[in-house]
Amino acid sequence: MFLFRRSPVAARLRLRALRGLSRIFSSENSSEARGLRLLRSWLTSEQRAQFDAKRYFDVIGCDSRKRYRIHYGAMTNVHEIDAAGRPKVGWCFMPVGHLVAGDTMLAQKIALETNEFGALAVANSFPPKEMPPNIYVPC
Amino acid sequence: MATQIVMDHTGDTRHYFDAKDAQALAKAEEQFKKLTGDGFTAAVRTSAGEVTRIRTFDPTAEETLFFPRLVGG
Repeated sequence: MFLFRRSPVAARLRLRALRGLSRIFSSENSSEARGLRLLRSWLTSEQRAQFDAKRYFDVIGCDSRKRYRIHYGAMTNVHEIDAAGRPKVGWCFMPVGHLVAGDTMLAQKIALETNEFGALAVANSFPPKEMPPNIYVPC
Repeated sequence: MATQIVMDHTGDTRHYFDAKDAQALAKAEEQFKKLTGDGFTAAVRTSAGEVTRIRTFDPTAEETLFFPRLVGG
């Protein structure tokens, strides 16, 4: 142990390992990572599987029983979809306070599943575009 | 331990409390009233994983989630 401490090579390796651990710890504790962990823990098993595979998940509106697709993102990321999964109309709404994507998506899910008309009453609609699931554009 | 999870710019802030402790429970109820009074929505999960919005404090809830009021983008 004493020899290990005195070796400059070992010290450099140890420092590199510590920096690596620090990077991992920082990334896992970033607000973005925390938001995604919270989101995943509140999704149903079906929604979680869909989100892990496609970076979006579907919810059913509690009032109209319409289907919505919530894409990864924090704005213009909600689409009302038809039976074939095609976007019919986009809805832009989010919680105040510059929340991370995971938090915003979870708030959108809960709002649509528990107070759909209330959420749509504050939302702005926009024409849907065919776009890859991970891409979103600012309102 | 019961938890109140409040969404914020850090991801979330968690308040843990012992639901069997009357004083802690009263403090949690006070926090619930303050947050919902400030416009936060409170939600809990049922055992089946279904999400329910609540308007009054549920002392039996293991986890209560709060998110800020919604606005159009």
